[in-house]
Amino acid sequence: MNPFGDLALQRYLAVGAILFVVGIIGFLTRRNLIIVFLSTELMFQGVVVNLVAFGRYHHNLGGQALAMFLLAVAAAEAAVALGLVVLLYRRRGSIDAEAWRELKG
Amino acid sequence: MESLLAVRFAWLIPLLPLAGAAAAGFFGARWLKGRSHWPVWLTVGASAVISLAMLAQMAGRVHHYEYPQAAEQPAGQALQPRASGEILSAAMRNGVQQTWFTWISAGGLHVGAGAWLDPLTAVMLCVVTVVGLLITIYARGYMAGDRGYFRFFAYLGLFIFMMSMLVMGDSFLMLYLGWEGVGLCSYLLIGHYYQKPSARDAAMKAFVVNRIGDAGFALGIMLIYVVFGTVNYYAAPDGGPGALLQAFTTAPRDTFEYHARQWIPFLLMLGAFGKSAQFPLYVWLPDAMEGPTPVSALIHAATMVTAGVYMIVRCGPLFAGVPAAMWTVAIVGTFTAVLAAVIALRQFDLKRVFAYSTISQLGFMFAAAGALAPVAAVFHLVTHAFFKALLFLSSGVVMHAMHGHLDMRRMSGLKRVLPWTNILMLTGCLALAGFPLFSGFFSKDQILSWAFHRSAWLGIVLLLTALLTAYYTFRLYFRVFQGPLVQPPPEEGAAHDAHGHSDGGHAETPVMIAPLVVLALGALLAGYVNWPEWEGRKLSLGAFLGASPSLILSFEMANAVSGNVSPAAFGLEEIADPAIRNRMSVLHMSMAAAGVMAAFLGIYAAYLLHRKYRQRGEAFPQMFPRINRAVENRFWVDEVYQFAAVAPLRRLARVCVAIDRLVIDAIITAAGWLPQVCGLALKVACQRGSLQGYATLMIIAAALVLIIMLW
Repeated sequence: MNPFGDLALQRYLAVGAILFVVGIIGFLTRRNLIIVFLSTELMFQGVVVNLVAFGRYHHNLGGQALAMFLLAVAAAEAAVALGLVVLLYRRRGSIDAEAWRELKG
Repeated sequence: MESLLAVRFAWLIPLLPLAGAAAAGFFGARWLKGRSHWPVWLTVGASAVISLAMLAQMAGRVHHYEYPQAAEQPAGQALQPRASGEILSAAMRNGVQQTWFTWISAGGLHVGAGAWLDPLTAVMLCVVTVVGLLITIYARGYMAGDRGYFRFFAYLGLFIFMMSMLVMGDSFLMLYLGWEGVGLCSYLLIGHYYQKPSARDAAMKAFVVNRIGDAGFALGIMLIYVVFGTVNYYAAPDGGPGALLQAFTTAPRDTFEYHARQWIPFLLMLGAFGKSAQFPLYVWLPDAMEGPTPVSALIHAATMVTAGVYMIVRCGPLFAGVPAAMWTVAIVGTFTAVLAAVIALRQFDLKRVFAYSTISQLGFMFAAAGALAPVAAVFHLVTHAFFKALLFLSSGVVMHAMHGHLDMRRMSGLKRVLPWTNILMLTGCLALAGFPLFSGFFSKDQILSWAFHRSAWLGIVLLLTALLTAYYTFRLYFRVFQGPLVQPPPEEGAAHDAHGHSDGGHAETPVMIAPLVVLALGALLAGYVNWPEWEGRKLSLGAFLGASPSLILSFEMANAVSGNVSPAAFGLEEIADPAIRNRMSVLHMSMAAAGVMAAFLGIYAAYLLHRKYRQRGEAFPQMFPRINRAVENRFWVDEVYQFAAVAPLRRLARVCVAIDRLVIDAIITAAGWLPQVCGLALKVACQRGSLQGYATLMIIAAALVLIIMLW
């Protein structure tokens, strides 16, 4: 019998969904660019949990491999994004997302 | 017939002038300039050679049609005369069907671009290319130094391409293509001096008036397709019989097909009336004289305006089956002949006199075609092409010498200044007047006698018209060339053509006179191609044309429908019965005598009034002031049209413009504004620069997509 059955999958998926939704809420409600950025990382992790859970459920290592890739990409992206935040802070002296409203054109 | 060399190369006849026109048009402005006539000369000349070769090769090889004598066939029977299959196969031996490529293939409609080559085509092609060649040669002298020199020659070549397509096409659509093509060239060439408002107006008028006729023509072709399922004359692309052959089968009475067949000739006729300037659509032709004189000669006298006559002869089987249509053609032709001749009596513009004369002579041709004498119609078409082109081109020389003046009241005694032109113009005038042994005499007398044979009234009215013709022709000749020398002062003129020659003598350059001499020879000798004695030998024009399927089938059709039709009028062997032969020859001789009398009388009257007693000739019309005023104002036909048709249409057009501007345009503009307004609203509502705002929208949208997809 499969130790990782339907019930276990559902629990993992629930955790992933919770992480994702918490990320969304953080993204939508906080104006500090660093927090916003951290919220996107939370969403990422929600997705990664899903991937790993489905990989395990299907006995397929593809899910885990993709998760490793995602971590690597997320790390690179984090470096770029934090760099951008630093640059934005230098320009305006603020890391408020609303400071750049005029970019709407 | 298919194997004849000229027949195999017939496709070159239209193609070469097109190539010449393209060369003159594309390379004329930059490189050829004053040499732009060369490509057109060479290609039209080559086409003329091929056409003449085709005529010569065909002439010896046609199969003359043998038909049962009238005694065996009681006339006036119902349609479906004798074994029609036999007739059809006998008629078809003299035609060659060439299909060049598939032109249209849409649903049930299959039209190949191709040629139908039979004696009628050969004769028409010769007229078009030979007269066309002579006129392009002349135009080199006439148009020299003109700003639009290359353009003129390009259009001339294009015209000859379109005209040869018109006469050699194998289907009504090809006919229509050529028909509209020559209309276009006519428009372009009438408006050659487009800086002049009168030329622009004349071009537009010609185009618009022709549209009225062509609308009927197009409807006729559509009806032909609906009824016969094909638009080809004789051989449909799918191998079936063409429309003119199917006209030979009977349609049951009181069906749609039966009634449609009654309508087809009337619709086609409208197109012919427009293109050939017959009443009531003749008004464009006199104004078309605004174009350069070679154009008047080629398009508005010799070739394009005869397209209507060609079409009626070609579609003879369709027309002959409906006696009312034939009568309409004959009566309209006769009426136009006499009307235009009367108007020509009191015109003073040289070219306008000839324009009305052309309308009148076309009326003769229509009368002949309507009186079931297609040979006489085509014969007159051929002779008329020569002598009327000659007359126009001669008056072009006069116009050159007179610095653009065309008013005959201001010139007199020009034979001293223009000796060559004098002789040439006299030749043309004698031919037009029907002077014995000139070409016009033969063809006109044939028309008179066949018209008389059909109905005495037609004959009498046409005889009267012949008298008027002789009078107005020689009124012009005596006024312009005889009497004391009067020339308008040179400095006044030079406005008409924007290029003048210094004095009269210089107008007679060899390049202009040489083609005129050839045309004059044609005007002298063209009458003999239909010399009656040659009919026994089957080499006369009539016998040659009589081998054309169109004429054979028209004869059979006319014979079946109305009976008592003379085969000789269709170029077939006359009935052997000596009594009938005798009666016909008496009729011919007496009509010839009457025609000669009319010509002499007209010429003598013109001599008295315009040469001998010129002063009294001036006073004579004043004795009938009201009639004179009516004639001088051309019976106010233009004014009536202006009042009854043009002005109301203008008003309607203004209303349409107003509706277009205020309603249609408003709707279109509103439709154009709608996306812009939506975009603006979205921009104001959503694009606010807030990162979280975008993210919210994105998530809502993604959620919506998910919901829709998963539902």
